[in-house]
Amino acid sequence: MRGGELKILIACIFLVASFIVSAEMVGQKVPFCPAKINASEQNIDFEKYRGKVILIDFWATWCPPCKQSMPFLNALRNELVSQGFEIIAINVDDDREGALAFLKAYPVDYLLGFDSSGVCPSTFDVKAMPSSYFIDKQGRVRDIHLGYRENDQRYIRNKITELLAEKRP
Amino acid sequence: MYKVIILWVIIFLPACSVKPWERGNLAKQKMAINPNPGLNALRDHAFTSKEASQGGFGSSGGGCGCN
Repeated sequence: MRGGELKILIACIFLVASFIVSAEMVGQKVPFCPAKINASEQNIDFEKYRGKVILIDFWATWCPPCKQSMPFLNALRNELVSQGFEIIAINVDDDREGALAFLKAYPVDYLLGFDSSGVCPSTFDVKAMPSSYFIDKQGRVRDIHLGYRENDQRYIRNKITELLAEKRP
Repeated sequence: MYKVIILWVIIFLPACSVKPWERGNLAKQKMAINPNPGLNALRDHAFTSKEASQGGFGSSGGGCGCN
């Protein structure tokens, strides 16, 4: 292999590596993403929730653990909403109508966003379904929880309680 | 030059992965290796009942078709 070809190859490896190594989200300000609120065309404004602890949950109807997590998240939200906790669930289904039909059968009380374009999960660098992003009162990502099993309930609850206990500077 | 092209393909193929939120179609039942598990189980049952000496998969039967 000649020197020129070797240089091209090394450049390619670095280019690919830059795609693979994604930015670390924890500690960063919650990014903007164009998820639409419920059936409207209005974008979700995360800044509106500054001062509250929010959990941004990425879910889809084809994802069984996502659906399994919803009753727990809804109960947790209703229990802690008076303390300043809110959940924003972003649906990533291609078919929004299918998701709305599912929500009609299994309604939840928290805010729902829809993004079939994939821009939101890409912006948040979603690694698994479901993915939960814990946002503190300053609007920063404090933790990311991947997947959902019943054993995770305690961890999620503890993390939310911990963030709620923090004082806003 | 061909070596570079082959290496290029090998390097870039993993970059074409399906993202976690793009797996809706892959999650459909018809995309499973065994899309009709119930039907296959019934056929296996009939097969092992009638051809007890053959197979080597699923549950074995004595030929009565009652298990």
